[in-house]
Amino acid sequence: MSFRSYKDKIEEGDTAILYLSNNLYAIDVQPEMKNKKGELIENVYQTPFGALKVKTLIGAEYGSRVELSKGWGHVLQPTPELWSLTLPHRTQIIYTPDISMIMLQLDLVPGSIVLEAGTGSGSLTHALIRRVRPHGHVHTFDFHEHRSKVAQEEFMEHGIADFVTAKHRDVLADGFGEELNGKADAVFLDLPSPWVGVPHALAAIKDQGGRFCSFSPCIEQVQRTCLALQEYGFQEISTMEVLQTEIKVSRRTVPVRDLSFLKQKSSTSPVEEKPSSETSYVVGTWPQSTPGHTGYLTVATQPPYARSKAKKSKPENDDDKSSSENGDKMVIDETV
Amino acid sequence: MANEVKIGDYIIIQKQNYKKLHKFNKSDSSISLGRDTINLKGLEGSPYFSTFKLLPKTSRKNKEFTIELADEAVKLKDEIDIKVSGNDNRNILDDGRSQKLSAADIETLKSDSNKASDIVETLISNSNTFHNKTEFSQDKYLRKKEKKYFEYFQVVKPNLRIISEIMYKLEPNKIQNLRIDTLSQIITTVNIHCEGNHLLYDSGSNGLVAAALLSVIGQNTTGKLIHMHPGNMSQKQALLAMNFPEEQMSRCVSVNVYSALRQFYQGCDTHKTADTEKSENGTEENPLKRKNDDDIEEHQSKKNKQDDENKPSDNINTNIDSETPRENKKPKWHFDNIAAAELLHKKMDSLVIACKEDPQNIFSELVTFVKPGRPFVIYYNVAEPLQQLYMTLKAQSNVAALKLSCNWMRNYQVLPDRTHPEVMMNASSGFLLSGYVLNK
Repeated sequence: MSFRSYKDKIEEGDTAILYLSNNLYAIDVQPEMKNKKGELIENVYQTPFGALKVKTLIGAEYGSRVELSKGWGHVLQPTPELWSLTLPHRTQIIYTPDISMIMLQLDLVPGSIVLEAGTGSGSLTHALIRRVRPHGHVHTFDFHEHRSKVAQEEFMEHGIADFVTAKHRDVLADGFGEELNGKADAVFLDLPSPWVGVPHALAAIKDQGGRFCSFSPCIEQVQRTCLALQEYGFQEISTMEVLQTEIKVSRRTVPVRDLSFLKQKSSTSPVEEKPSSETSYVVGTWPQSTPGHTGYLTVATQPPYARSKAKKSKPENDDDKSSSENGDKMVIDETV
Repeated sequence: MANEVKIGDYIIIQKQNYKKLHKFNKSDSSISLGRDTINLKGLEGSPYFSTFKLLPKTSRKNKEFTIELADEAVKLKDEIDIKVSGNDNRNILDDGRSQKLSAADIETLKSDSNKASDIVETLISNSNTFHNKTEFSQDKYLRKKEKKYFEYFQVVKPNLRIISEIMYKLEPNKIQNLRIDTLSQIITTVNIHCEGNHLLYDSGSNGLVAAALLSVIGQNTTGKLIHMHPGNMSQKQALLAMNFPEEQMSRCVSVNVYSALRQFYQGCDTHKTADTEKSENGTEENPLKRKNDDDIEEHQSKKNKQDDENKPSDNINTNIDSETPRENKKPKWHFDNIAAAELLHKKMDSLVIACKEDPQNIFSELVTFVKPGRPFVIYYNVAEPLQQLYMTLKAQSNVAALKLSCNWMRNYQVLPDRTHPEVMMNASSGFLLSGYVLNK
């Protein structure tokens, strides 16, 4: 339950983050666990620095030191950022550098209603919930039934289920559902063909307008999405990439090679031809290998008039495809 | 905030990609966009996102315009019909003779025509080469001309994204080159949310960081923000531009860092004793005078101007000089200092520092107010002071997960068959040093 509000001490049932020399581990704070045979045994968490009896964490203050048999670590209360680094991956996930920008680009504040498809491993979902609560809501969808269920259970366990509705639904095929028409301040898509989802976003966003963001790894997806956004009357369409690099800081001692003595004949015979002294700097080293690409963020604004404009131009589309209401999805598919 | 433009609102005037922040303080206030002066009479009461057409007051020559509500902005491309295009540029020579109109002709054309499409159409019909250009090249030409002669603007509601973009584009050094993506990282790194007490020390972002944190703390929530600054008035341009309701704005306590810490440690001010006020004023001003460097003074003179426009009720931190003469009524800063000190006693849930000074002392003093296990972040526009601080903190071991990072952002032009990164990118946006405070 440690995901909802800050607290001072670890309680049973919390998720605690163990920080061990640059490594993070999420630990379920349960004094006992079931073994393979289904028997209850003491919960002991194995770390590279030795075993941790999870029971001993209960009552400890967040931010305090934890002794291990071969060293020590610290326990932290999970934030969406720490969770993104430790969560069990059920899919590829979006990380904090992109998440931060997505939330700012979607103009999210407490009280916003935001739709997300798909839920995936819930990395972004946790951050969205944190941003829109207490009076906002996240509606998140995944076409993978099991994944959606696991996410839903996770939100319950984390004590944040009242701010989120997780549903099993294929948004590209079926849209966000009629009950969400005109309800959203923002729509986020992380789907293989986001352009198909654009008309669904158009339907879901509030009358007074809202924001759209799509995360796509490939530029071809971006191009089709931008065309769809333009077609449906979105404005301020913009595509960007955001990366974050960690810089390693260290003190570096470097040799000093003096060459000035060569200008004169040396009085003392042979001068040694090697560095004469040392000096030191605090340096920042840029990593040799670092994420160079995660995904493109395509963002756009839906103005209040976009929906009515799209409706007006719709009959032509229908004529073209000689199909009625049911053919809508096909029309959308083929207009790209 | 209502959905229609009200007098007193900060609004965004957007003309194509150009956005300008404007305080709409009277119904016929004027705004200058580039060399044009536009009278905004008729804007009041219209819903946000409305599009307006610019109408020349007399002729286009004197650059004065009035406005008229329009359904939508008409694109030059839709107004001008292009029939023929070339395949490539092999037959196009840049001999300066392709345009039949002289420079003087074009000037008269510009001042006589009332419609952008007339001007551009005349230019095109008098060009020998336009129709030999490729479709892409014609498109690019029209986009360029559209930028020059665009006759529409839209009124948009300010929010953090737009304000951050405007301030970074306009004068990045006034906000210490804090780019929108880095700003977004600050908010998430320290887990700012609707609850808790958050501490900010900011010595020069025109209120942008405070606006960011307060917007994420949200309306009708319990979160509070202490906004510490070194001058005798806080920089709050961005805070004001957000049009926060009074309830939200009141949860941002802006205090002078010296006064707030003096109050915390020495506890001179109380709610009751009125007689200590005078002596307090004496001690109040000295450190401030010593502090004033050029930069802060410059910001403050700007602030002063801005404050004149605002009703006193908007002010979170009032000017000492103007408020002190009234003896029995204590100035607002007096109560703000007490409020800040009380919050500091309860300890803080996050610490954000965006400073121009050496971050070492500021951090080591302010970190003592942060609860164990809570995150902090320091923004600085070059890496070296943060690297130095990193080494200091590593040696002290009172923080964990220390991380120095740098953000990078690139925008893209996405057009059919012409997608590529934008030619210019904003390459400078400072560094972040982040971590978690440990239990000592």
